[in-house]
Amino acid sequence: MRDGTINLAGVSTAYEGSDRPVIRDISFTITPGEFVVVGGPNGAGKTTLLETVNGMLPITRGRATVCGLDVASRGYEIRRRVGYVIQNFAFDPLAPFTVRDVVMMGRYGLLGYGRRPGEEDRKIAREVMALLGIEDLAGRPIGKLSGGQQQKVLIAQSLVKRPDVLLLDEPFSNLDLGTRDFICGVLDGIADEGCTIMMVSHAFDALPDREVRVLVMNDGHLIFNRPCRADEVEDHVRTLSGGHHA
Amino acid sequence: MLEFLILNNIVCHAVEAMLFASIACSVLGVIITQMNISSIGFTMTHAAFAGAAAGIFFGLDGTVAAVLASLTIAVILGPLSEKARMPTDTILGILFGMMMAIAIFFISYMQYLGTGVNTSSLLFGNVVSLYREEIYALALISIAAVLFVLTFFKEITAVIFNKKIAEAAGIRVRPIFYALLFMIAISVSLSLNIIGGLLLYVWLVTPAAIAYQFCSTVRDLFLVAPLVAATVSVTGAWIGLQHSLPVGPLIAVVFSGLFLVAVLLSPKRRVPKGE
Ligand SMILES: Nc1ncnc2c1ncn2[C@@H]1O[C@H](COP(=O)(O)OP(=O)(O)OP(=O)(O)O)[C@@H](O)[C@H]1O
Ligand SMILES: [Mg+2]
Repeated sequence: MRDGTINLAGVSTAYEGSDRPVIRDISFTITPGEFVVVGGPNGAGKTTLLETVNGMLPITRGRATVCGLDVASRGYEIRRRVGYVIQNFAFDPLAPFTVRDVVMMGRYGLLGYGRRPGEEDRKIAREVMALLGIEDLAGRPIGKLSGGQQQKVLIAQSLVKRPDVLLLDEPFSNLDLGTRDFICGVLDGIADEGCTIMMVSHAFDALPDREVRVLVMNDGHLIFNRPCRADEVEDHVRTLSGGHHA
Repeated sequence: MLEFLILNNIVCHAVEAMLFASIACSVLGVIITQMNISSIGFTMTHAAFAGAAAGIFFGLDGTVAAVLASLTIAVILGPLSEKARMPTDTILGILFGMMMAIAIFFISYMQYLGTGVNTSSLLFGNVVSLYREEIYALALISIAAVLFVLTFFKEITAVIFNKKIAEAAGIRVRPIFYALLFMIAISVSLSLNIIGGLLLYVWLVTPAAIAYQFCSTVRDLFLVAPLVAATVSVTGAWIGLQHSLPVGPLIAVVFSGLFLVAVLLSPKRRVPKGE
């Protein structure tokens, strides 16, 4: 069993060059294989929370551990075991990278210095691309794909490291309804294998049919943390964020 | 090193120096242009220029002063733009102006005092009176630049693609970035004497830009850019010296002309038939 435990105890995070923390005094524990949905209005601190978990932002107070490792001191190790699909991306149409290159990049940290991807790495990359249905795009330049196709490539990239924890920041924002359901099924399968999933999403219609834990952020605070059925999530988040959600 | 090929000693040294300088600058230039940090390269180049001018004025070693000045700019850049609460690009514009002013101040003053310092080689380069040590140093830095790219190829490509995504993949972005700045500082400082402060930037950006017109992978860029840079620089040095033409400016003009031709011929700009 993989150890995708996430534990935050009184954590505050500030962006570099600013002294005011953006998220404050956050505490929660997520056990391996849990499926977590993070909600809350724009600017509430959802992205900040994800980047705190994988150690990309400096923790100013409290203590966080992921996979049993201290986030503040072992960020690089954590990021080799934690997949992260970023929220905003834009690629130059002429960028010299194919889909295959971009997917493989997910394994670069794991491989370490001086080692090139080998047959094993290529095999994993092919499997993951097949899982997401993008194997036909493998040789295409990333910048010339549609937003939804690019989104799938980034999800594939986060999966090739066979992560213990998967962080996704609004992965559905570029996807049509059918594709949402498809990706949702993929994530469901990954959670079944014991990977912890933490997903920021406003697409409450696209949640796997399983018990999920809901975290709601508001103005930098965690205001709700409870397991519920997928079909209850929308009601909770709507009530708590004051009806601002579209 | 190439004496067995080129009998004339002056031409031989000029060709060697140009070969190594062009390889070092163009390999790093690929990273600089692909990361969209040409303004950092631009400013560091002129800092080396200013450092050398000031260093020579105060009786120090020009190359050492150039390395120090260029590195200082690289290191203070981040903190400075944070403190000034301004976009890095604006800060770079200001620093660039400052470096240019410092360089020109010392060069004009040395000319006025008639110190006997060859100020025109600082401005436009000089391939005629080179020391053996200079050529060895250039050979070393060009090998170091190539080794840097070979060793950290994965990491460099990921950082070029997207810094945030590279970091999320578990790559140490900051050390790679600072190593890059360090290599740029040394390369431009060592190349300063032969290419000159006013034209150095051409070697850093134009060969990579020419290569970009024809390459669709990062690997090809790292092969084509130094190939173009070395071919043009070596032939330029040879022909320039045969006909007593100013070598640095000659090569710089050829580079820029080639860039225009490359844009016209580029398969990237060509619209496929039927569209
Ligand atoms: N790079 C940054 N530097 C300083 N402050 C930032 C930075 N990025 C975000 N913030 C601030 O942190 C707060 C939370 O931002 P965050 O991106 O985490 O919100 P979010 O919940 O993800 O919003 P959205 O739904 O719009 O994606 C905001 O008030 C924002 O102004
Ligand atoms: Mg966000």
